[in-house]
Amino acid sequence: MRLQDRERVSKAIRTLRGDRSLDSLVDRIFEITEGSVSLDRATLQRVATGRTRVTRAIDSPEDCVRLYFALMIIGCEEELTLAEIVGEGRTMLAGFVGEPLATLVFADLRRTLPKLADLRTLREYLEEGLRVWLPK
Amino acid sequence: MATEVTGAAVPAESNTLRAEEERLRGMLEDRLGIRTRVASLPGTRALLVSPISAGSPKGLIVDRSASAAERISLYVHLAAHIALKHDVPLITIVESRGDVTSGDENKHRDADRLARAMWWGTSARADGRELWPGRRSRVLRPLLASRPGRLGLRVLLLVLRRLYYAARARRFLENTVVARSLRDALCVTAVVCAAPELAALRR
Repeated sequence: MRLQDRERVSKAIRTLRGDRSLDSLVDRIFEITEGSVSLDRATLQRVATGRTRVTRAIDSPEDCVRLYFALMIIGCEEELTLAEIVGEGRTMLAGFVGEPLATLVFADLRRTLPKLADLRTLREYLEEGLRVWLPK
Repeated sequence: MATEVTGAAVPAESNTLRAEEERLRGMLEDRLGIRTRVASLPGTRALLVSPISAGSPKGLIVDRSASAAERISLYVHLAAHIALKHDVPLITIVESRGDVTSGDENKHRDADRLARAMWWGTSARADGRELWPGRRSRVLRPLLASRPGRLGLRVLLLVLRRLYYAARARRFLENTVVARSLRDALCVTAVVCAAPELAALRR
């Protein structure tokens, strides 16, 4: 995929990863997405530092959506604020797939969010959201 | 990731209810493509997440604190949502413990109405009858329509169950119509007590 705003995507990833190292982030993304998003450390480093617009390991919009859910789950694990998780997650997705698809995918979270009591419930929602996007 | 549903979530529950919940959960998966798991969801009873493509499985998360009877009532309510085509791709159905938000009020009310008809097997909709095996009980419906009736019947059935085991009647009555009817009545009563919206409306 070709990033639309590499600077902004880079900032979003750096925020969502919290205190994690890039190595740990790569491992956790692989684990959460059950191996369906296999970003290598070098690519993630280039994306996270805003040095590339091309992410070879992320080939399809489905990969981007899985990465979106995975990064927000990691944001929950890092105990970021709800506003940070949701805002940076949306920005990251829009940077990868463009505004129209990001708006479509994000709309459900926007509608559901007021009905979720806390971060734990948000995380369960994100995990289930990711599950339905995993390859069969 | 959270655990899958297990029958041992609430150990004190009756085996009949747990077995029925397990059977209905399997039916949800087979007929409606809903995969269920339990997790801690403070303030929320359940979330049903629909994928982007209609043929892919949906994901249901049920709050860990829900009893088997409550889970059964949730399943029939969600089956009603699906019969009403509320399971739109990329739209999550949230079953809250508190008041529903105004935008969803009508959907939940319609689902409650259809769930009641599906539960008692009186649904006029063909898809409702196909999705859910209704219980055509002319005896239980009126008895469970009122709160005192529900509570009275529940107590009576629990006493009968205790006597059944205390008198070792299981040796003679197991697999008879009497035992099956009592088990079924206990299950229906427990579910309607947990979800009074399933009670038939009094005329």
